Amino acid sequence: MSTKMDTIWSKLDRKSTAIAEFTMRQYRTRISTWVVLGAATVAIFLMLLFYIEAMNTEIEAIDNDGDGLINEDDIDWDNLQDGVNYVGEDDDGDCENLDTTSQRDGNNNKNECDVLIIVDTLNGTTYIYPDANVDEDPDEDKYGKEAGHRAFILGIGKFGIVYLLGIFLPLFLATGLIREEMSDGTIHYMLAKPIARGEVLLYRMLGYIGLTWPYILGLCGLMCLITGFTGPGDGIFRWSDIGVWMTIAWAAMLVSLVYGTIFCAFGIIWKNGVILAILFAAWELGMAFVAILSGGDSPIRYFSVIGWGMIIVDSGVAICWPDNWQLIQSGLWGGGQGTENFLGEPEYVPLPGAEPLDVFSGSPNLGTSSWLSLIISTLVLVFQGIMSWFVGQSIFKGKEVD
Amino acid sequence: MMPDMTQHGKAEVEEWKPVSNTPVILFDRVSKTYGRINALGGVSLGISGGVTGILGMNGAGKSTLFKLMMGKVKPSSGAIRLFGTDPWKNSAPYSRVGFVPEHEKLYDWMTAFDFITTFARLHGMTREEASKEATRVLSFVSLDDVMHKKIGQFSKGMRQRVKIAHALVNDPELIILDEPLQGCDPLARTTIMNVIKQLGAMGRTVLVSSHILHEIERITEQIVILHRGRVLALGNSHAIREMLDQHPHKIVIDCENPRELSKDFVDLDEVTGISFSNPNKLLIETKHLGEIHKKLPEIIVQSNQLVTGIDNPDDDLQSILMYLTGGSL
Amino acid sequence: MTEDEPFEPVPEKSESFGAETPVTGKSKMQAAWSADDGESESSAQVASMSQGQIFEQIYRPWEGTLNPRWMRNWAILRHHLLGIFKKGHRPWNIPTRLFIFFVVIASMTDVAMALLFGMIGDTTLYDFWGVNRDNLYAHVMGFFPRNILYYPIVAALLVGGMISEDRSHGTSAMYFSRPINRFDYAAMKFLSVGLILFFIINGTLAIYYFVDILVMGKGWAWIIDTFPMFLATFVCGIILSFTYTSIGLSLSSVSRGRFFPAIGLIAILMGTKAMAAIIDSLFDKSLLYVISPYDAVAHVCQALIGTEMTYDHPWVWSLISVVVINGLALYLLANRVSSLEVTRE
Repeated sequence: MSTKMDTIWSKLDRKSTAIAEFTMRQYRTRISTWVVLGAATVAIFLMLLFYIEAMNTEIEAIDNDGDGLINEDDIDWDNLQDGVNYVGEDDDGDCENLDTTSQRDGNNNKNECDVLIIVDTLNGTTYIYPDANVDEDPDEDKYGKEAGHRAFILGIGKFGIVYLLGIFLPLFLATGLIREEMSDGTIHYMLAKPIARGEVLLYRMLGYIGLTWPYILGLCGLMCLITGFTGPGDGIFRWSDIGVWMTIAWAAMLVSLVYGTIFCAFGIIWKNGVILAILFAAWELGMAFVAILSGGDSPIRYFSVIGWGMIIVDSGVAICWPDNWQLIQSGLWGGGQGTENFLGEPEYVPLPGAEPLDVFSGSPNLGTSSWLSLIISTLVLVFQGIMSWFVGQSIFKGKEVD
Repeated sequence: MMPDMTQHGKAEVEEWKPVSNTPVILFDRVSKTYGRINALGGVSLGISGGVTGILGMNGAGKSTLFKLMMGKVKPSSGAIRLFGTDPWKNSAPYSRVGFVPEHEKLYDWMTAFDFITTFARLHGMTREEASKEATRVLSFVSLDDVMHKKIGQFSKGMRQRVKIAHALVNDPELIILDEPLQGCDPLARTTIMNVIKQLGAMGRTVLVSSHILHEIERITEQIVILHRGRVLALGNSHAIREMLDQHPHKIVIDCENPRELSKDFVDLDEVTGISFSNPNKLLIETKHLGEIHKKLPEIIVQSNQLVTGIDNPDDDLQSILMYLTGGSL
Repeated sequence: MTEDEPFEPVPEKSESFGAETPVTGKSKMQAAWSADDGESESSAQVASMSQGQIFEQIYRPWEGTLNPRWMRNWAILRHHLLGIFKKGHRPWNIPTRLFIFFVVIASMTDVAMALLFGMIGDTTLYDFWGVNRDNLYAHVMGFFPRNILYYPIVAALLVGGMISEDRSHGTSAMYFSRPINRFDYAAMKFLSVGLILFFIINGTLAIYYFVDILVMGKGWAWIIDTFPMFLATFVCGIILSFTYTSIGLSLSSVSRGRFFPAIGLIAILMGTKAMAAIIDSLFDKSLLYVISPYDAVAHVCQALIGTEMTYDHPWVWSLISVVVINGLALYLLANRVSSLEVTRE
């Protein structure tokens, strides 16, 4: 009796391609595959319509400081760093025209007509002390378009593509990969062969990837093209977005692989495994909310799959849009207009698009560089996928299939 | 066909080879229970070479036996060996096995050729090898003219032949067919039975389960009879019949004057009973069918009677099964 | 029987079984039963060994009365409804039954809270939980947890195998070989899911309302004041049950498995809401909510009950959307069931 490692893990390329090809062909013959992919595409493009409409609509310019001139003193902040920053410029000169030094240097930093910003990334606070009449009338349209564009990419990318697509594609396509064959009785055509059960699971997942990954890549590629050309900016195409879309695609691909393996394992464990899959999806929904709304601060997300997918996207944003956080802060400050609330704290009126962008942006928060965060989260997701496969195939090996 | 219980095969580690000197299929005191149902109880048997029929009523344990052989379920106790290897733990023996399952479902959207080539590649064949083998087996089962049609368009008999072709693609030494004749029309049944006989003649070990007894008779004389989860008899069907002492063989001779003819048989030692069920029929009971048959021609010639027919009404599997199971069909 | 005519010719009948005969319940019964009128004695005859024998077949039309259509349909409805808690009827699986039980209990948390604080005498908390316009609305249309965890998942579990299981097990043949037409079949399936949802949503709503009256001793003035909004909420509950049922059943009629309809329903409900929520947060446009069945119904209910409107677009658009969604779903359902091939595949 052989108790050593199965000697049947051989001629992998032939067996793997046979099952993977078969799986992809099987998907093609099922109407549900087309319905799911088609519905997802339609949904994403429906949202795109709203985006295109928003990009083509002029955002109403507001005279924030009430001096009769509109958008004459836009926010000029560059390279905000941790600690003390002196930024900003008085474009319309209404600060420099003030009489006294103390009036021109309201924030007492020995620089006239600037904005003093104290950034504390450890505590996540930003204190903004502008001198009077500096950067007080920003360009709503310019800001709103840029922020809206980025918020759309992040919102659709993180929530629509990485989460919704990443969870519904495997829910429909992966849960029955083994279970349906078991119910139909056709699994024996694969099992009664010199092939390990773990191999069968692996190659079926390969076929699943062969369908979903190109779809995700194609969808993200198309979205990148469309938003790249219709997005705001000086050039014809927004090259900086490509990296973000690539991380969105990569995160969605990995997340759909991990969920696919997990749901397939649920299907193997239990005839009604899809119920477990739905419950798991509900848990991940909660985690997605936590990951997005906490902006990358909450450690609970490490206990989920989607949390790591979000970290990948956040790393991509940090690499490709290094000024993103700064853009958010400036938008939330919005020129410094606003009243004080009952606690004496200033409540600024944010520029359009600032709040959504703030909601959908996050930072990787792994304590390392963005590239390293990208690699680490990739490795974690791959590890989760391998563990799920391992558990699935262990259970499959001991399962009696009648 | 008595199994040798001292043999337990060990599979080689590097490249799996079937172990010689063991039966191709070996069951050693195998039991299988599903909850409170005892599907198989202490079954021991070894099978090698030629065509063997597995017989039994519904619920006798035939399906369970096959499931255990094919690694679909694991035994509650006892050991199973295919070519010396436990199929539940190691699926390597399946490179030498072809299995034709009972259930009907096939991939209707595939052509017969695609179906066979795809799953042939799971034996480690390249695409070209798989295509060649698929063409070979499909012409063996006479499906070469329709092999590029979708299986969904096939008749029941053709579907059975596709399954048989699929089982033969890796040129297996052991072929297991679970109820292959079920639901087939007479022409398809004849075709399939011929295929099975051919395979047996080619030296393969073929295991066929069925409850269409007269058709099993036409294929083989080696049988295993299961009843209520136990092996009731195994071996040559005629030899088994001989062993049923309490049910003497019947010989029915059609003649004009049975009473006259009977006088010639009365004195024979082998004859245990004589009766006249019909004015034109003489019924002789004997425990030694072969001996009587040797003497029959001489007796009849010497009697000068006109004999129009000789029949052994209960030398068939139906009768064997009835006698063995106590008539509880 | 004569020598020339070994069997009697079948006598002429006014009813024929030709292709032009309309398929009514009665003609189906005749074909199935072909019984005689019970006047002649029937006997079995066994052909003896040496002879052959041919048996007379005399077909007479079935002159009995068929039960009225509503009784046949009631049998189907009863089979589906009683199966939730009784053996011998449609075998709903254990997870479904357990979850329905759990949802019924969980839906009555507001009843429990109102009772608790009412009996303790804490007026602030009682006002928070007791019957009022907003709480009635929330009982039916509250998003978390009712319309994200409870009601959609119950609907998904109910519609899952409703029609698809009949197709895959071949039991739809049992229905259609009886005098039951396909519309009735689909209608009774629809009604059974709808009624179960109705009992869960509106039943608990009614309990909430009436328990508040009975236990807190509300007077007639209060009842007259609140009854219109209770009625409006009741209607909203019906709209919600109807919408979930029609979407779910149309999905069940399209697929062959048990899971695609369930997951599909949840995907549609959650996915459209998520999409609309993203667009709303990004561009401050609530228009996309019309494609979300939950939000469309919620908007209509807000208008009916008179609670605060949480959407910017006119509620008439949501009403149109509800009508369109239900219309499409029912059209798909009718189409699929009328062309359902009554085979195992």
